[in-house]
Amino acid sequence: MPDSPSDLVQGTLDMLLMKTLALQPMHGYGISVRIEQMSKGVFRLNAGSLFLAIQRLERDGLIEGEWKPTENNRRAKYYALTPKGRKRLNNETREWDRQVAAITRILETS
Amino acid sequence: MSFFRNVASGLRSLFRREHVSRELDEEVKAYLEMAAEEKMKEGASRADALREVRLERGSLEVTKEEVRSAGWESVVETFWQDLRFAQRTLRKSPSFAVVAILTLAMGIGANTAIFSCINAWIINPLPYPQSERLMVFATHDKKNGWSGDHVTSAADFFDFQKLNSSFEQSVAWTGASFNLTGDGSPELVDGGRVTWNFFDTLGAKPILGRTFTADDDRSGAPHVVILSEGLWQARYDGDPKIIGRDISIGGEAYAVAGVMPGTFQFPLMGIANLWTPLALTDKKRADRSGSWLPAFGRLKPGVTQEQAEAEARVFFFGLENQFPQTNANLTWLVNSMTWDIRRKEGGPELMIVFVVVGLILLIACANVANLMLARATSRAREFAVRGALGATRGRLARQLLTESVLLFFLGGLGGTLFGFWGMKLIESWIPSHIRGYMINYGHVDLDTRTLAFTLGIALACGVIFGLAPVLENARLDVNRTLKEASGQASGSKRGARLRQIFVAGEIALAVVVLISTTLLVKSFIISVRTGPGFNAANVMTAQLALPRTKYTNDSQRRTFGEDVEVRLRALPGVVSVGAASSIPFGGFGQGVEVEAVGRVAQPGERTGAALWAASPDYFSTMQIGLIKGRFFNIADSPGSSPVAIISQSFAREYWPNEDPVGRQIRFGEQHTVSTIVGIAGDVMRDHLREQGSWQIYVPLAQFPASTLAFVVRSSADPTMMATAVRDAIWSVDHDQPISLAPLETLINVVDAGYRVVTKLMVFFGALAMFLGTIGIYGVMAHLVSQRIHEIGIRKALGASSVQVMGLVFGSGLKLAMVGIAVGILAALGATRSLTTLLYQVAPNDPQTFIGVPILFVAIAIVACYLPARRAMHVDPMVALRYE
Repeated sequence: MPDSPSDLVQGTLDMLLMKTLALQPMHGYGISVRIEQMSKGVFRLNAGSLFLAIQRLERDGLIEGEWKPTENNRRAKYYALTPKGRKRLNNETREWDRQVAAITRILETS
Repeated sequence: MSFFRNVASGLRSLFRREHVSRELDEEVKAYLEMAAEEKMKEGASRADALREVRLERGSLEVTKEEVRSAGWESVVETFWQDLRFAQRTLRKSPSFAVVAILTLAMGIGANTAIFSCINAWIINPLPYPQSERLMVFATHDKKNGWSGDHVTSAADFFDFQKLNSSFEQSVAWTGASFNLTGDGSPELVDGGRVTWNFFDTLGAKPILGRTFTADDDRSGAPHVVILSEGLWQARYDGDPKIIGRDISIGGEAYAVAGVMPGTFQFPLMGIANLWTPLALTDKKRADRSGSWLPAFGRLKPGVTQEQAEAEARVFFFGLENQFPQTNANLTWLVNSMTWDIRRKEGGPELMIVFVVVGLILLIACANVANLMLARATSRAREFAVRGALGATRGRLARQLLTESVLLFFLGGLGGTLFGFWGMKLIESWIPSHIRGYMINYGHVDLDTRTLAFTLGIALACGVIFGLAPVLENARLDVNRTLKEASGQASGSKRGARLRQIFVAGEIALAVVVLISTTLLVKSFIISVRTGPGFNAANVMTAQLALPRTKYTNDSQRRTFGEDVEVRLRALPGVVSVGAASSIPFGGFGQGVEVEAVGRVAQPGERTGAALWAASPDYFSTMQIGLIKGRFFNIADSPGSSPVAIISQSFAREYWPNEDPVGRQIRFGEQHTVSTIVGIAGDVMRDHLREQGSWQIYVPLAQFPASTLAFVVRSSADPTMMATAVRDAIWSVDHDQPISLAPLETLINVVDAGYRVVTKLMVFFGALAMFLGTIGIYGVMAHLVSQRIHEIGIRKALGASSVQVMGLVFGSGLKLAMVGIAVGILAALGATRSLTTLLYQVAPNDPQTFIGVPILFVAIAIVACYLPARRAMHVDPMVALRYE
């Protein structure tokens, strides 16, 4: 079913989330919208997995949250990537590229 | 870093729960609002937008729950919830809680008490620095296999001390009693004579003055003495200027060199309050014939016990070749001092008691597990409802486990109290006389290790036995349980089976414990009834050592003894008076080698016997039995030919088919030859469970001794005689120290350790029986209440009361029988480890092995009676309506 949103590949949500935050700090809803946009609607996050991932990353010290007013004058918690998170993101991206390349090679040769 | 952040964040959630949950709330709500606004921009109404978001993104309540339960802190929180719930449930059924907690407290407390003793006496190291390097030497006869707690001879010791390369220091010592005179009334003080390095090797430091030096330890050196803090305080009022002061020992002046702290203890020497240098003469140092010095050494760092023993073996092999006369077959063993002391302190006995309390804990746990199982059955409906409402099996199991752990934890707290009280009680049972032999005496305490042990076993048992109701619960069929009209689930068959296994198991354990206890008590009773071979009632004893400086020859000693006997006999209330060189259970024992004249001894054959020099009236005063021949009389005087009386065992074993009376024996260092004139009954010398030992009596008049013990039989309480006896002796020599004690006290003191163990076993046996009874009663009562309905139907269908009663008794007794049978088998194996503690009782004593099971059958019948009566009186109508 190419039209309905797909499930994320296990373990990639954290990476995507950090990637989103690499550009600028964002609140929870912003993150999910951004991921949907970037994936052109392929990935749709439900709130549970989103906030679980946020809590996990925050506890690991990869992102940091801060309460700020939004453009609509609402209070929201904005998350930003920490230096440690940035390093992790780079590593994971590199690892991911390597794996994807390998998988693609396998799929093409067979 | 991230670990700490995780912990900090978790703690924040735990302790600022309101705040954190509000924050999450707000965040999620903001998310929802923002998503809804997007939708509303597309033209949807607010309500529709919110609904759509919820559909797309999932319920926000669930989201929050998911986020909350993801952190580790939620486990803590659930545990806390479970704990509070468990506490409420326990409070709702107080009788269950009280019975369970008390049962556990008894079981755990018994373990705490015994463990605290084991901890102090066995686990804690000896109170010397690097005590693991301290080794005691023992003589070992390779040919005959015997070993002794002393070195082969003084010369061997000093040679080894000089030549060995394994030991930093080697120390020889001997226990001694000292006559203290001057500074108040004369006093006989126990202590030791030691080589100069004794204190330094043990690593003991004096609180005043110095320890001995090599110069002190030379024969002819100025006399010096070291006092214990206790003696210094009691006799010299803690005189701060005691160092250098002369005190009088046995009529000679000794300068006080140092005072040892009250905490210094050397259990191998017993109670010791005074030490002097060994200061052997050159002749004695070169003597290779005698063997009487105990000795120990401190290994050099890095040298092992095996290496030291190997060196000793080679060394003594050399001595054997060099001195075949004295050293043939002899070698030294090198044993760990820790091991040696523990063995003498009764470590093995304590471990047996420890096993017994372990069994009792199992019995207590089985009881409580049964109670919990029974409760689980009656709470089946509660769990079914909670299951239906969405609690997972794991969640329910966790809660049940929490409940049982809480229960066991409370039991552990109660056990700590019981244990504390118990260990003080046990310590108070140890008579003062043998406290000197117990390392760390007075240090039995609830230290961290004991507390950790107590709570450890409590929690471990809580988890293990808490699994029983969990397993039972795991098979709960929610649908069926909820459908059952009565709400009284009958419990799964396997649950009932588990309970039966527990009860049978605990009966088996109780049978093992009770059989062991009975064996010990029986041998105790036999040993008391057999008696020591003499009548200790109403006998006062006065032991003393005549100073060699004052009583230099035999006739002086003989005169002293005879004078005292005459004066004692004249005292009012005295029935008879005897004297001997030493008395059974007294201080100065003597052993000699003995052989029959004209009988060729096997090479290397050693025959030792106890030797007593006794006055004619000694036998009648002690009421020792005459088997054959005659006792001594006045005619056995210094001028007449030497005579001897031997003990029954000696006679029977040495001359199995002959009459020893009239034969001659040769004994002792002087190779004295005496003619046997009589055979006396065996007398126990050291403890009440002795097998007949070889004993020789010689007339005191012919062999005057420098140690004397007077026995005074009175018509009334012997303690009333103490002052009169002392004054009578002092009227002969006012400077003579005397040790006075009723003969019964002497025996009790020696027998105390065994009495303590026996007392403990009796107590624990009763406890095991009590818990076993409760166990079988509990299960039968539960069984009947579970089957009320069934019994009602049976009665309605015409079963008689007797048949119903038979039903209950049948199932109860079947359980008991299985348990008893298993218990008997287990006991047959277990009691073998008791052999050393038993006296004239076989470890498989038939009377005990029949009696105890019969007792348990009786208990089972009694325990089944109440439930059976209840079953009998079940009214079929009521039971059926009970639905």
